[in-house]
Amino acid sequence: MSSGPGPLLEVDGVSVRFGALLALNQVSLQIHRGEIVAIIGPNGAGKTTLLNVISGFYHPYEGHIRFDGLDRTRLSPPDVAALGLARTFQNVALFKGMSVLDNIMTGRLLKMRGHFLLDAIWWGPARRQELEHRAFVERIIDFLEIQAIRKTPAGRLPYGLQKRVELARALAAEPQLLLLDEPMAGMNLEEKQDMSRFILTVKETFNTTIALIEHDMGVVMDISDRVAVLDYGRKIADGTPDQVRKDQAVLDAYLGVTHD
Amino acid sequence: MIDLLLAVLRPFAEIAGSPAFFVEVLIGGICAGLMYSLVALGFVLIFKASGVFNFAQGVMVLFAALTLVGLIERGLPVVLALALTMLVMILLAFAIERVVLRPLVNQPQIILFMATIGLNFFLEGLGEMAWGANVKKLDVGIPDHSFMVKGVQINELELTAALTAGALVTILAVLFQKTRIGRALRAVADDHEAALSIGIPLKTIWVVVWSVAGLVAIVAGIMWGAKSGVQFSLSLIALKALPVLILGGFESVPGAILGGLIIGVGEKIGEVYWGPLVGGAIENWFAYVLALAFLLVRPQGLFGEKIIERV
Repeated sequence: MSSGPGPLLEVDGVSVRFGALLALNQVSLQIHRGEIVAIIGPNGAGKTTLLNVISGFYHPYEGHIRFDGLDRTRLSPPDVAALGLARTFQNVALFKGMSVLDNIMTGRLLKMRGHFLLDAIWWGPARRQELEHRAFVERIIDFLEIQAIRKTPAGRLPYGLQKRVELARALAAEPQLLLLDEPMAGMNLEEKQDMSRFILTVKETFNTTIALIEHDMGVVMDISDRVAVLDYGRKIADGTPDQVRKDQAVLDAYLGVTHD
Repeated sequence: MIDLLLAVLRPFAEIAGSPAFFVEVLIGGICAGLMYSLVALGFVLIFKASGVFNFAQGVMVLFAALTLVGLIERGLPVVLALALTMLVMILLAFAIERVVLRPLVNQPQIILFMATIGLNFFLEGLGEMAWGANVKKLDVGIPDHSFMVKGVQINELELTAALTAGALVTILAVLFQKTRIGRALRAVADDHEAALSIGIPLKTIWVVVWSVAGLVAIVAGIMWGAKSGVQFSLSLIALKALPVLILGGFESVPGAILGGLIIGVGEKIGEVYWGPLVGGAIENWFAYVLALAFLLVRPQGLFGEKIIERV
């Protein structure tokens, strides 16, 4: 793992267009090592689009994305994942037919060495490797307090727990940068507090850099080091929670402006 | 009324009267069933990994058999011809991924289905163009004679076919359940986006499943071809695989195997014992009637996941 002086992730003047709609308009954002950055904004502001660009699902038509100082603009999602980036999805994308344990194990796929097909015949090393990864996954299961459901098919879990399993799968990849798309959507107060605690602990114990999209302002202000605000595809503010809270452009975007 | 009842029940007496003959019929049914299973397996693999219902699976069986026969006819030793055929099927998988699947990524399933219909005709034409349309005898050196065990006649070719199919199925089951690639395949089957995000390259997975389906097609093609010659009607066994899939569930490997066996055994026993009662030809419709019954009672199949639609 290298740790150069610059930002871990640099989004530089990125624009994304869907037909006539300019979903992102020259957005620039830097994420530094060890930070928790929240991306907020009204519905349709381009938050998820930004996450999709960073993780390689969309490619911008202008601008650059640099990861650890190197240009990564046109990589595919699997290649981005191989660089050390993991993410969760707004609508929970778990492997519903697989058990919670198997779901989290898939997060280790990139860490496993050896050839796909050789695994099938080469039992000894393949099995030992499996056990090592299993031990790591068990630590994550303990950490996120989901021991009781490890054998349950992911599709049968309530929404809040699914979100937690999805976080576990992302953590299993030991990412340098973790992207969370509305990790607390649809949760009750208690679940939100649990999730906030997990996110803060992840940052401290695993030294993971985190970028998250969230609508609950209380949560955002509590856990973020920095907040970036998007509106209609543009970044309208970027700063500490306190700065952003007082920013006039942000207040306008959220509360509306009276034109007179 | 009594007469009808007697007529329906009489075959049971025949079975009890001559168990050795019944075992022969049973073995015949199992062998035919394993062939259906193999073809259905090709469908299931591709459906699981890419959600594509591959209409061309039957033609892939034909194409594999044609290629093999064609190469043997040109004087290649069987082993070399087999290796080349495997290579051809793997190259075919690469080509399909590149030319058919990749440009159609994220299109609705019906579009991919239509594409495989196109693929079906393309492969049929290509096979005919390259190797001719005559019925060919496929001889891969498996002896076609029989021996007796305790009064039961066993055909060596059928035995070999059954053992090969059994071995192939076991290998695939282990591959799917126990290995890293198996986990990756199941992940892709469940959710494409999530699979991409954890670093599984879809393209590789597609090439792998289409290759495996191609190799399964070779085995099925050899077995059918050795029994009844390589001809274009071979591609029609794909139609028999459909009821197998309905029985077993589209996403289940064990389902494909068991479904194939049930249909193979069912239609053979039905034909031999109850055929005369309805004027024969039970073998032609048994599978479809059974599938229809399953659609009414258990539409997800024996092993398919129950479909729960929330409203």
